[in-house]
Amino acid sequence: MLRVESAVLSFGGFRAVNGANLEVTAGEIVAVIGPNGAGKTTLFHLITGHLSPDSGRILFKGREISGLPPHVICRRGISRSFQVVNIFPRLTVFENVQIAVLSRERRTFRIFSEVKGMEADEVHSILRNVGLYDRRDAESDLLSHGDQKVLEIAVALGGKPELLILDEPTAGMAPEETERCIRLIRRLSEELGLTILFCEHDIGLVFEIAKRIMVMVRGGTVIQGSCEEVRRNREVQSAYLGETGGC
Amino acid sequence: MGSLGNLASSGTLTQILVGLSRTTILFIVSSGLTLILGVLRIPNIAHGSLYMIGAFVACTVIQTLGGGMPAFWAALTVAPLAVAALGFVLERGFFSYLYDREHLMLLLLTFSFALILGDLVKIVWGAEYRSVTVPAFFQGSAELFGLPLPYYNLFLLLVGPVIAVFLWLVINRTRMGKIALAAAVDSEMVSAVGINVGWVFAFTFVLGCALAGLGGALIAPMVNISLGMDHSLIMEAFLIVIMGGLGNIWGALLGSLIFGLTQSLGILAWPQFGIVFPYLAVVVVLLFRPKGLLRSTW
Amino acid sequence: MNGRRAALLLLLAVLVALPHALPRFYTYVAAIVLLTGLLATSLNLAIGYGGIYQFHHAVFYGIGAYGTALMLTRTALPAPLGFVVGPLAAALLSLAMGVVCVRLSKLYFGMLQISLGSLVWVTVYRWYSFTGGDDGIHGIPLPDALGSTGGAYYFTLAVTVLCLAAMRRIAASPFGKTLEGIRDNPVRSAAVGVDVRAHQLVTLVIAGFFGGVAGTLFVVVDTSVFPDMMFWTFSLEVLIMCLLGGMYTFFGPFAGAAAIVLLRVFASHYTSYWSLVLGVILTLVIIFLPDGILGYAVRRHRAGEARSA
Ligand SMILES: Nc1ncnc2c1ncn2[C@@H]1O[C@H](COP(=O)(O)OP(=O)(O)OP(=O)(O)O)[C@@H](O)[C@H]1O
Ligand SMILES: [Mg+2]
Repeated sequence: MLRVESAVLSFGGFRAVNGANLEVTAGEIVAVIGPNGAGKTTLFHLITGHLSPDSGRILFKGREISGLPPHVICRRGISRSFQVVNIFPRLTVFENVQIAVLSRERRTFRIFSEVKGMEADEVHSILRNVGLYDRRDAESDLLSHGDQKVLEIAVALGGKPELLILDEPTAGMAPEETERCIRLIRRLSEELGLTILFCEHDIGLVFEIAKRIMVMVRGGTVIQGSCEEVRRNREVQSAYLGETGGC
Repeated sequence: MGSLGNLASSGTLTQILVGLSRTTILFIVSSGLTLILGVLRIPNIAHGSLYMIGAFVACTVIQTLGGGMPAFWAALTVAPLAVAALGFVLERGFFSYLYDREHLMLLLLTFSFALILGDLVKIVWGAEYRSVTVPAFFQGSAELFGLPLPYYNLFLLLVGPVIAVFLWLVINRTRMGKIALAAAVDSEMVSAVGINVGWVFAFTFVLGCALAGLGGALIAPMVNISLGMDHSLIMEAFLIVIMGGLGNIWGALLGSLIFGLTQSLGILAWPQFGIVFPYLAVVVVLLFRPKGLLRSTW
Repeated sequence: MNGRRAALLLLLAVLVALPHALPRFYTYVAAIVLLTGLLATSLNLAIGYGGIYQFHHAVFYGIGAYGTALMLTRTALPAPLGFVVGPLAAALLSLAMGVVCVRLSKLYFGMLQISLGSLVWVTVYRWYSFTGGDDGIHGIPLPDALGSTGGAYYFTLAVTVLCLAAMRRIAASPFGKTLEGIRDNPVRSAAVGVDVRAHQLVTLVIAGFFGGVAGTLFVVVDTSVFPDMMFWTFSLEVLIMCLLGGMYTFFGPFAGAAAIVLLRVFASHYTSYWSLVLGVILTLVIIFLPDGILGYAVRRHRAGEARSA
């Protein structure tokens, strides 16, 4: 479904992404792991159009998407959450998700209809699904950090994506929040059949939910394979797993 | 035929030189503005008011001391100092608490300062315009290709480069200047190293204000000193700073040159629409280089 | 909510009765308040709802006014056509300026916008043969129905109410909500599939159009136009109106406009230093109530509701 072929991106002279390869097939959960500064976030930015690669190709459903602006890529069926909370702080929880739904339905240019309650059914069902229904009228700025991260996912779901990209979905969450979030991701994959690409620092968590793993170091792909393959790979053990203690 | 062509081109030359001397004032004022914008990130609309105050102070000094060369030099010293002192009060009293505000808020805040300062000038100096004459030493004109170039314009032509060199020295050769330059690019870094950024900001602000005051003092003998002289100048200074690249002193110099020259040549070419040309130049520059000609510190 | 509707109706009733209760001069002032409020509200669509740094909004006010004035003085075409041409010219200019500006964000947008606006201003200011230059145009002939102060006032009232209703509608539409989203977070908006620039451009055209309507109304009320209407200081003054009332509320800018126009009229009765008064008030508001006066009240109110809920 998604294919990244030797993507390269430099900031000034520094190659943040340096020949990364990635393959995601429909229906699976793929994790990207790698040390801080490996280029995971930058790779996601390349996929979603927030940055465009200097060279290399990115294909989604067989069509080249590299260099397209973010809103076009979103309409092709890729939604994402951000590593640092990135929501609409002055809007309510409901409105945050509503905008995503309106946008998907191409309703954002309607200037004379009443927005209040529009698409309420779908927004409510998403909010119930992620467990934020009770907070739907709260200004999103006032949510706890954990709830804001979940809202991130809810906003992404508003776009009814085929591929959902999550950049460290559980970063900064309390243990029980993390637990809830993992269950949510699993459920999205199983019940909605979503294809999910995510990155995480918590290796235990990654092995728990990912079907396949891509290991990124210094902007390049070290290996992509099943959990078993990755676990057994020498290079990964020495470069990465060694320091976190084997699992 | 040949002599006619000569006359036209020497007329152009004087026009260019007069334009350049006006450029000096624009450069002095806008370099102060860009310094404050680059280091403190404050789009200071009150900068125009400080320029106006500089002109009024210079006028008062000259009139009190009874004209003549000493009075003129005194004015050139006192006006920037007085304005710098005012700037110091503004910086310590207000801006130092407000650095983290949104640019829009700072813009509007400085606009309200401009309103206040405008009325304070009216209270202190009254609503009538004032004028001072060019000191006797500078009266008269030099002959240039058979056309007159007033001595005072010649003087201004010399002042411009002097100020430019002075600023270059302050920024590149003094500790304070180097820190200010570093703070312009990354103030958090500078404070992380343990330098008190607050005082660097205060220094920069005061220096910028002094330049506004100096500009006002220099223009004083050339124009009617009046309320409202701040309005058109601050707009021009902002456009110059934007055109040159925010925070870049050389950008301010380049911008002033472009602004001053397009204006004087524009007036020569098409008197009625002469003053439209510099505005057109700014727009053309920004259409192609939205962040200005030279590298901005933002 | 119902209390609010009742209050609005009451206000409308007062406004309708006004010319019968007040001397002519104050009817004129009231009309100026209305159209300036319309102008501030139109700017707020861009800056408060859209977060777009429209620094030189008065240009569209000016072009609306000049468009109408030139139609009324230089052509023999029917006057109503002139009333339409002004706002349309403003919308068109807004579109043209917007196309080049929306490529940029925030401050850079504002700077290009203010440069373009200044170019428009200086052109109008110098083009004596066409626009009357710095003198402007005075004694613009109007249809008889609008010739009296009362007639001009009622026309202004009707048009202002209509335009405010339309803008309110827009603010409460999917488009308006999306716009708020763009203000809060343009990156996020793009990531959910919103074409940020297209929305900003449409907003600018709408804001320019209604700004132009305000300019046309000025011609009706004052029968004159002059380049100071589009000088940059006036643009900042309109921004200040938005800020004073509160940029994150719909009616805040209107209230701010009313406050400043009335302050100028009444304070200048007592003192020639009214900008000092305004400057001090503004400084206090910016430092202590950055959400504006109405915005502050709304926040307090919401906080109270949240506590009692
Ligand atoms: N806008 C930028 N300009 C310059 N360098 C950048 C920029 N964004 C990222 N980098 C650099 O690129 C490298 C990769 O960054 P990236 O954020 O992709 O890493 P990451 O794998 O997501 O790290 P983390 O696990 O900490 O989130 C880092 O060294 C970072 O400093
Ligand atoms: Mg990252």
